[in-house]
Amino acid sequence: MVEDTRGIDRTALVILIVGIAFILAPIVIAFLTATLSYEEFVSAGGIGLNVGSSFLDNMRRIFVETQLPGQLWNSFVISILVAGIKCTFAFTATFALVFYDCRWSRIIFALTIATVMLPLELVVITTYQVVANVAMPLNWLIRITGLAWLSERIFGTMPDFNLSLLDTYIGVALPIATSSTSVFIYRQFFLSLPKDLPRAAAMDGASPCRFMVDVLLPLSWTPLVATFMFWFIGGWTQYLWPLVAAATPDAQPAVVGLAKLANAEPDDIPDVPLLMAGALFVSFIPVVLIGVMQRQIVRGLNLSEK
Amino acid sequence: MTLADNSIALHEVRKTFGDNLVVPGITAEIDGGKFTVILGPSGCGKSTLLNMIAGLESVTSGTIRIGAREVQDLAPKERGCAMVFQNYALYPHMTVRNNIGYALKVAGVPKRERCERIKASAESVGLHGLLDRRPSELSGGQRQRVAVARAIVREPSVLLYDEPLSNLDAKLRQGMRMELTRLHERIGATSVFVTHDQVEAMTLADRIMLLNNGEIEQYAAPSDLYENPATTFVATFIGAPAMNLLNAEGDGSGIRLPNGTLLATMPFRGPVTLGIRPESIEIVPDGIPCRNVYSEDLGSHSIIVAEVADGQKLHVATPLCRRMTPGETFSVRFVEDAARLFDPTSGKRLQST
Repeated sequence: MVEDTRGIDRTALVILIVGIAFILAPIVIAFLTATLSYEEFVSAGGIGLNVGSSFLDNMRRIFVETQLPGQLWNSFVISILVAGIKCTFAFTATFALVFYDCRWSRIIFALTIATVMLPLELVVITTYQVVANVAMPLNWLIRITGLAWLSERIFGTMPDFNLSLLDTYIGVALPIATSSTSVFIYRQFFLSLPKDLPRAAAMDGASPCRFMVDVLLPLSWTPLVATFMFWFIGGWTQYLWPLVAAATPDAQPAVVGLAKLANAEPDDIPDVPLLMAGALFVSFIPVVLIGVMQRQIVRGLNLSEK
Repeated sequence: MTLADNSIALHEVRKTFGDNLVVPGITAEIDGGKFTVILGPSGCGKSTLLNMIAGLESVTSGTIRIGAREVQDLAPKERGCAMVFQNYALYPHMTVRNNIGYALKVAGVPKRERCERIKASAESVGLHGLLDRRPSELSGGQRQRVAVARAIVREPSVLLYDEPLSNLDAKLRQGMRMELTRLHERIGATSVFVTHDQVEAMTLADRIMLLNNGEIEQYAAPSDLYENPATTFVATFIGAPAMNLLNAEGDGSGIRLPNGTLLATMPFRGPVTLGIRPESIEIVPDGIPCRNVYSEDLGSHSIIVAEVADGQKLHVATPLCRRMTPGETFSVRFVEDAARLFDPTSGKRLQST
């Protein structure tokens, strides 16, 4: 079909340029502000479009005066944990749900969907209680089964287990990781695979686990990498839960540290140039990751690709 | 090991999915070392039956024996079966070599022996020089060969095929039929082949098990199935065009149409369905009057669709490339020892013929 698309092309181009400008403008402003010194910023009377020469100095101050470098490492570990846990559990769960029929698989699938409906922000208080003492369900179980009463009669004490995961990497990462969004993505991918594949593996004598490791895992590599990247960045940008779960600056991830930096001295004008430099510093790793893995991410989410 | 060692005995094998009765109970013996085709329309339970033999589907009740062993509760790998799937089901990320050798790898066969057996197996299906390719780099026919090589590499006593040729084009299919027959003669495993294509069944099988609604309609050699169908279902399922079935009436000396036209002289009395193959009908100057409705010239022979006196349709295959115009009248004669009589209500063949 021959059609004159010049008009459409031009309109689309304009829309795209406006969109890009809209998205890039804050980043440009952040960068410009990060080049100012505190004095220049204060005398300019707010955020403007002035260019200064203190960018390197601001960056140096990030390393020397703030805890952001260490917190960057926290962010890194927490994000790896979040992405790793999410991908591992979603992969194995989807494997079981798609390839093996079980009486409970519908209920299990419904439950996994429920975790999507219940974001962490909604249950943050109860989650805090559980993480503050992960033995809480055990205590409850002991009490409800009457074991506690029995123990009081015999030993004279109530058993009360206590294990807090607050301020630990796993304690911050685990609640973020309990969301099953990837199950949907993997499920779509698994369903696009030939139906006879697990049957062929069964005829070849491979156990279900062997099939998962030898056949399914290599085939799922691209969607796995793509979702891993997603959850890594998702973990990196988490704010509310790490703020609650990690009280000491040593355990806080960089995003929380950055926010703390903003209201360090409530009476002063905040050191916005330093903050902006920090923001650029904190977002550096995710940006590089996306840049490097761009192709992989697109391929992995294009699920028909074999 | 004698051939009888890998015969398959099915006894009252039943399968239900929920309330849905798929296989109501099959008892049959599949001869060891022979090529048996399970034939039937889609949804007749033939694939389910094959999967039950393979161990991919559980048996609701009944027993399956391969040789002397009861296998219905064993895992697939313990049954000594191998299977060729309809969509090949090759592992997309593995080379041809690894695809063929995967079963051996799982079984822990040492690498050297593995290599030799992979090579031998690949050569026997004509996959020379393709061992390092991926399945995506192969044509449909080549993929099917890999699937066959993968099945025979373990030297199974039973080889199961689940409609393996239905994804190939017609020409390739014929070539593969020939190769499968040769392969079967060479390795001598008990072969069970599921298909809905009667041509495949007729050409490949030593014996055909024709299923309908999960029950065996007839289990016999292909020629027997063709010439002596046990039911009208078999008569219409086998052959293209199918056997003609005419509603007629026997008066004790001959079978006649309701208007009195004599079809065949047979000593039968009462209402009857007369079956006659299209190629057992001859065009003669004087006989059963017919009117041509439609004709197809296939080069080697023509198929003429004609109407007899009371409007019943009749397919006639004639070796003479006789052109006929629609509406033209002519006469035919039935080759009488080729005519078969069926009970008009039950569809079962009447034994007297």
